[in-house]
Amino acid sequence: MSLSLNDILFYFLAGVAVLSALGVILQSNPIYCALSLALTMVSVAGLFASLSAWFVAGVQLIVYAGAVLVLFVMVLMLFDTKAEKRAFSKGIVSGFFKIASAAMIFAIAGGAASMSGDARFSKLTGIASATQSTKDLADLLFKKYLFSFEAMGALLLFIAIGAVALSRIQGGTHAD
Amino acid sequence: MGKDVFEITVNILKMFVIFLMMVQAVPILVWLERRGSAFIQNRLGPNRVGPLGLLQLAADAVKFLFKEEFVPRQGVRFMYFFAPIMAMIPGALSFASLPLSVPIKIEPFQMLGQMWGPYTFAFQGYDLGIGIVFVLGISSLGVYSLLMAGWGSSNKYSLMGAVRASAQAISYELALSLSLVGILIVYGTFSFNEIVAAQTGPLTFRAFGAEHVISWLPNWGVFYQPLGALLFFSATFAEANRLPFDLPEAEGELVAGFHTEYAGFKLLMFFIGEYGHMMVASALLATFYLGGYNIPGVMPDDVLAFWQSAVGGNLASILTAVTFHLSLLLRIAILLWIFIQVRWTLPRFRYDQLMNLGWKSMLPWALFNVCVTALWVWFGHK
Amino acid sequence: MTNSGALLPVIILAALVLVFGVIIVFGTGLLGPKNTSKDPASQKVKNMPYECGLPGTEMADTKISIKFYLTAILFILFDIEIIFMYPWAIKFLDSIQDGTGGYMLGVMGVFVLLFVVGLIWEVKSKALDWN
Repeated sequence: MSLSLNDILFYFLAGVAVLSALGVILQSNPIYCALSLALTMVSVAGLFASLSAWFVAGVQLIVYAGAVLVLFVMVLMLFDTKAEKRAFSKGIVSGFFKIASAAMIFAIAGGAASMSGDARFSKLTGIASATQSTKDLADLLFKKYLFSFEAMGALLLFIAIGAVALSRIQGGTHAD
Repeated sequence: MGKDVFEITVNILKMFVIFLMMVQAVPILVWLERRGSAFIQNRLGPNRVGPLGLLQLAADAVKFLFKEEFVPRQGVRFMYFFAPIMAMIPGALSFASLPLSVPIKIEPFQMLGQMWGPYTFAFQGYDLGIGIVFVLGISSLGVYSLLMAGWGSSNKYSLMGAVRASAQAISYELALSLSLVGILIVYGTFSFNEIVAAQTGPLTFRAFGAEHVISWLPNWGVFYQPLGALLFFSATFAEANRLPFDLPEAEGELVAGFHTEYAGFKLLMFFIGEYGHMMVASALLATFYLGGYNIPGVMPDDVLAFWQSAVGGNLASILTAVTFHLSLLLRIAILLWIFIQVRWTLPRFRYDQLMNLGWKSMLPWALFNVCVTALWVWFGHK
Repeated sequence: MTNSGALLPVIILAALVLVFGVIIVFGTGLLGPKNTSKDPASQKVKNMPYECGLPGTEMADTKISIKFYLTAILFILFDIEIIFMYPWAIKFLDSIQDGTGGYMLGVMGVFVLLFVVGLIWEVKSKALDWN
C-alpha cells in the first residue's frame, strides 16, 4: 500500500489535530489547554483547506484561531488560575470529566472511522477555484439559508448587548 | 520524473528565497530606520562601521548572536522561547502568498542529456487562490506571539504590554478587514493575481450605466477606493504596533512592553516579525490599491516584447519578471519609507484615543465605505 | 478528490520558519557567555524579571481591566459579521449581472443595519470608552 501526497498530508494534519485535542484534555495548565485548542483549530483549518474548502478554512483561522481562542487565552492569562489548576488536576470529579471527554473523543473518532466508507458521503467531483466555491457558498447563504443568515445577524446583536450588560454588573467573585 | 524533481526543487528553493528575503530586509530596514531617524532629528546616526555605516548591520548581528542569555527565573520556559519563533510565522507565511511579479515561462531546454520543461514558475511562494482571506487568517495568529511573550516572561510590564498590544491588534483588525470589503466588491475575487491583472491599462470605470476611460491615469484600486486605502494603511500601522500606535511599548509606562525580558537574537526575532508585518502591509497595499507589480502605461506584453527583441529566449521571460518585480519593490520601498517617516514624525496616542480611533472612527468609516462602494457599483452596472 | 498539493508549500514554509527559529533561539543560548558565578545570589538576581529597582512582585497582583475582555468579546462578534460580508462582496458583481443585484443589496442592507444598530448601541452604552 503506497501513500500518496494527499494521504500523507491528511494523516499529518489529522494527527496534529487529534494529538493537540488530546493535549487540551490531558494538560493541567489551562493556558496550555487553550493553546493546544488553538493548534487544533489551525490543523482543522488545514483539513478544510485540503478539501478545497478554502473560505471555510480561512474563516476557521480568522474566527476560531484568531478571535475566540485569543479571548480564551487572554482571560486565562489574566486570572490567577492556581485554584482552578488544582481543582482540574486532582479529584474524583475532574477525573470523571477527563475520562468522559476522552471517551467522547474516541467515540467520535470511531464513529467517523466506521462511517468513512459510507456511500452517503460521496467524494467531491470537480473542484472550482477558491473564489468560485465561495461564490457558490454565497448563493446558498444569501438565498436558500437567508432567514438563518439574517437571524444570525440579529443574534449577534443580542449577544453584543448582553455581553455589555453582563460586564456592567457589580459584585461576584472578582469585584473590586 | 526528472521534471517533477526540478519543479519541486525550484518551488522549495522559492520558499527559502522568500523567507531569506524577509529576514535579510530586516537589518537593512533597521539601518534605514536609524539613519533616517537621525537625519530627521538632525543627527548623523551610525556612520562609522563600513561605508555609510552599512556594516553596522553585520556588527549588530554578531553582537546579537553572542549575547548572554537571560531567562526570567519564574518565567514559563516553553512560552518564553516559543514566542519569538511564533512572531516570525505570520509575516513569512503571508509574504509568500503575495504575487511579486509576472510568472516566468521557461521554454523546453536541454541539460545533462535530458529535455527539461516547459515550465511556468509563478513569482510567488504559493498561490492559494483565497488570497486575502489567508493573509488575514494567518495574521490573526500573530496575537499569540504577543500573549505568549507577555505570559512567559512573568513580568507585569510584559503582561500589560501584551494585553494592550493584543487588544489593539484585534480592534484594528476589524477596521482592516472591513476596509478590504470595498476592494472585494469592486473586483469580485479573492485572488491576488486576478486583482493585479484587473489593474492593468488606463483608468476605466463604469458610472451611470456607461463606461468611462481616463487615459492619463493608471487603472489602480486607489482611484476606486481612496477611503478604503487610507483606512487600510492606517490600520496596518496599528497591526504592526508602530508609532503612533506603539502603546504596547510605551517606554514611559511599560519599560519595553511585551519584549521587556528579551535580549539578543530573540529580540531581533520580534523585530523580524514587526518588519515582516510592515513588508506584508506595504505589499498588500501595493497589490490592492497601487496596481501591484504593474508599470503605469505599460502592458506586460510590451515589456516581454522589448526584452525578447533585446536578448530573446528564456532570458527575456526572466528579465520581464525581474522588471516587474523591481516595479513592485519600488512601491514597497516607498511605503516602507512612509512607515519610518511617520514613526519619527508623529507623537504617540493615548490609549483611550487609540481605542476611540479604532472603534468609533475607523470602523464606522469603513462601514460607510462599504455602503458607498456597494451603491456605486450597483448604480454603475445596473 | 483532494487538493492538498496547494497546501504543501504552506506547511513546508511554516516548518522552515520553525526550524530556523528553534536553531536561532537555542543556538544563541549556547554561543553567548555564561554566568559562571558560584554565588547563588548572583544567579538569582541576574535572572529576576526586570523591575525598576524594587524587588520584583512577579505577576502576583496583576489586575487587568475588564475592558480588555469586553473588547475581545465585541471583536469576535464584529469579526463574524465582517467575515459574512466577504462572500457577499465577491458575489455582488455577479449578482448585478444576473439581475439579482437589488435583492443582494437588500439582504446585506438588513445585515448592515443590524451591524450599525449594534455599533451605535456599543458607543451609546459607553462600552467602548476608556478612561
